[in-house]
Amino acid sequence: MCGIAGIMYKGSAQTFDTGEALIRMLDGCQHRGPDSTGFALYEEAQPGKLKLRFFLGDAADSRGGVEAIRQRLSELGATITDESEIGDNYRVTVEYAHDVQRLAYEMERAAKVISIGTSLEIVKDVGTAHDVDDRYDVHSYRGTHGLGHVRLATESDVKPEAAHPFWATGFADVAIVHNGQITNYWKMRRRLEQRDFLFTTDNDSELIAVYLADKLAQGIALNDALKTSIDDLDGTFSFLASTQDEIGYAKDRLAAKPMILYQDDDLVAVASEEVSLNRLFPGQALNTREPAPGTYATWSRLT
Amino acid sequence: MVTLDLAHLTVREVNERLRQSGAVGEDVLVRNPDARHHIGVGLTEAITVRIEGSAGYFCAGLSDQAHFEVSHNVGWGVGDNMYTGSVIVGGNAGAIPGVAIRGAEIVIHGNMGSRAGQVMKAGTLCCVGNANFMAGYMMYGGRIIILGDSGERVGEDMSAGEIFVGGTIQELGSDAMLGDLDVAELEDIRAFLDRYKISFSGSFSKIVNAGKNLRYGSSEQQVRSLPFTSFSGRSEYWNSKVQEDIHIKSQSGRYRIRGYGGARPLPHLSDLAFRKDLSRAGEAADVVERVHMKTRIGGINGAEPLKLSMPVMIAPMSYGALSRSTKQGIAMASAMSGIAENTGEGGMSDAQRDAAGQLIFQCLGGRLGWNIHDMRRADGLEIYISQGAKPGLGGQLMAKKVTPELAEIRGIPAGIDLRSPSRHPDILGADDLVIKVEEFREATAYRLPVSVKLGAGRIRDDIKIAVKDCFDFVELDGMQGSTGAGSSEVIDYVGIPTLPAIIEALEALDEIGARERIELVLMGGLRDGVDAVKALCLGADAAGFGTSVIIAGGCIACMQCHIGQCVTGIATQDPEHEHRYKPETEARNIHRFLEGVRWQIAAITHGLGYDDVRELSREDLVALTPEAATMTGLPYEPEHAHQLPAARASS
Repeated sequence: MCGIAGIMYKGSAQTFDTGEALIRMLDGCQHRGPDSTGFALYEEAQPGKLKLRFFLGDAADSRGGVEAIRQRLSELGATITDESEIGDNYRVTVEYAHDVQRLAYEMERAAKVISIGTSLEIVKDVGTAHDVDDRYDVHSYRGTHGLGHVRLATESDVKPEAAHPFWATGFADVAIVHNGQITNYWKMRRRLEQRDFLFTTDNDSELIAVYLADKLAQGIALNDALKTSIDDLDGTFSFLASTQDEIGYAKDRLAAKPMILYQDDDLVAVASEEVSLNRLFPGQALNTREPAPGTYATWSRLT
Repeated sequence: MVTLDLAHLTVREVNERLRQSGAVGEDVLVRNPDARHHIGVGLTEAITVRIEGSAGYFCAGLSDQAHFEVSHNVGWGVGDNMYTGSVIVGGNAGAIPGVAIRGAEIVIHGNMGSRAGQVMKAGTLCCVGNANFMAGYMMYGGRIIILGDSGERVGEDMSAGEIFVGGTIQELGSDAMLGDLDVAELEDIRAFLDRYKISFSGSFSKIVNAGKNLRYGSSEQQVRSLPFTSFSGRSEYWNSKVQEDIHIKSQSGRYRIRGYGGARPLPHLSDLAFRKDLSRAGEAADVVERVHMKTRIGGINGAEPLKLSMPVMIAPMSYGALSRSTKQGIAMASAMSGIAENTGEGGMSDAQRDAAGQLIFQCLGGRLGWNIHDMRRADGLEIYISQGAKPGLGGQLMAKKVTPELAEIRGIPAGIDLRSPSRHPDILGADDLVIKVEEFREATAYRLPVSVKLGAGRIRDDIKIAVKDCFDFVELDGMQGSTGAGSSEVIDYVGIPTLPAIIEALEALDEIGARERIELVLMGGLRDGVDAVKALCLGADAAGFGTSVIIAGGCIACMQCHIGQCVTGIATQDPEHEHRYKPETEARNIHRFLEGVRWQIAAITHGLGYDDVRELSREDLVALTPEAATMTGLPYEPEHAHQLPAARASS
């Protein structure tokens, strides 16, 4: 039960204040989810490098936590080139040339992984968009696209790891934000688990991330994966998905969850409510549209 | 014209100033709306409001007489429940435009979102562009004019009204069909389009209800039912109750519907006892004066609370299931005893409003009888999500009870088997609900408490949502609650009993540290003051009585509430039967019962050693059965079983 937001600036030649834009959009629909707020932020990829982000949990044992992460990374052949602690998180950039899924699954055993990506970082915690910005400097992120989410916890706990966006554990740079409820969650999850996919929460939205990442890993385009998701996922949903170069949406056939879209020559922005879009353009009446039930679409920063 | 700028004012301030402008008849221009919600909510004066830009959810909602012009888009639920007046939207409308309107005219120049005109009763919703999925879903009357394409499943489960489509009909909904368009209708549409300066030269198709699903195919025969005390699941495999059930189904060919509560034995408050010896409780003649019982409910977020002379309220029961005279009698009794009455579904009657000292107005998914004017004269507003007797299902009112008078108040066609929607058009999740609650507060200037009625189901999650959505109190209803009509299997077998319901609710509130952020009224099969005290001990702030109040007012528990031929004049709309119910007499009977409840609460509280009901706690209770002990975590001390409080008998 939530509010979602996504933005993509067209043309990849320059970067924009995606962090600031998403903070404003989420502040606009914070009433939909006061419990926690999260961001999926994409910055320029650095060749050969991976960005990893971890929850440290209680500050008291965070030193030990960081040590354990460093050691495990080293054992797995990742060389640390940059690291920092911010808020409740440990950020690290590594040089790593092997299988990302293996790295992710191994690291998941050593610590709570938030995200791994060449360009993706996920920032999420309890509190409002401004609370999370205060803790993690979200406004400093610049890039071409990103997603955001405000959460009102209904069935699972209020804790940072249950917040959105969800990363598809094991698949670099894939993130989703979701508003709604996936009712065939356990059935779909078991199918994916039988194929050795790892789920790190009991939150139904994580399924969407893993489902899409599985398709993408098979070489299926995001657009086509979104298309099949409308048939394969049961329940109510409006969700946004993002990869290194694309964002997209899918909406259930019952149109039970809101979604509104604005597009011009410079950008495409999607949100649960128009009030979020208007935060990008104060005082301006926008030509928006509501995507029809059972539809999907993608946008690429490269075109 | 007055200009209000939302770049500098809050929506609440703008709505306040709109009402002020309305009072003196001056028109208003609203600038920089930036798609904010609730603009113009609750405006009931005939002024023009121009909104320069886009508005958010529920623009012009719960309004009457005013004329709104929005230059751009609107979000969900434009014109929600609007009586008269009009809204012109220059751009697109989100989902459920014109939801539950009762006479207003709404024109959308762009496209409109899904479920347009859901549960609308009267008025016109006109869309110049295309409609989306399920336009006219569950509409009860009025007309929808779509100049573009219809969208999928147009007219799904409509009961009455007309949908005119100028473009392509993509797909007809369930129980909808094409009808014949007559000249007068066409002229009327042309006149409407002219009035709103819309040019359209094409032709129309008309969609109406196909009439296949308005009534059950067969009606249940009226029988002298086996008494309430026999239960199909108790003993002897093919017992008489099972046989009765099969006989009735062999005639009707469908599931049974009946009134009253479940017959199935379940762990209940009677499986708890007081730890102390209460054999001398109530001996003091002035025990009622000695115990502080005054209770305020609903004020924790700043609204004007209900002021109860004791921690007791009347449970919501609808005018419809019950006769007007019965609702009036109960209202009178509630005023005599200084407690609050509740409208239930189906609207507020003048007789009930005049008689009740304090009245909660309940809003259900069908918005039957819901309107701004009765909201304003209520003392509390309540969003019904579900009830204990049939959690997750809507109410049923058989055709016999849907008289022209009742249909008029509810805004529906007379003589249908009314199956009320089980969910709200604009509450599809906790996120929508928070916006709905805010709409009610805006419409009533934040004056009234807003409560939620929850039938016990997934209480642990639901009660946390109630806190996060800022409700002032919860009416928590267990499985032992009764109903005027429900499926017999559901009444007996579906739900969570009252006892575990409150325990789980309190545990959930403790988990998020929110016990102080919401108040809790427990109901669902509470019979007397003894049960009320046990509810208070367990942690409720007040107790709700429904069935016991009906019985005090003459009900004979024949379980035929749904038939509409109630011999006592309670569960009927037939004047011949209702004639037998004497509101003044029954009000006195109910009042005497309520005063007995008061005495019991005082006597037991005093007997437990307190002079204030707020001192009651779990420590005062023990469990008499292992089941009740497991559910409540109270010590299992069956030896208290024989220590029946004198208080039960001697009031």
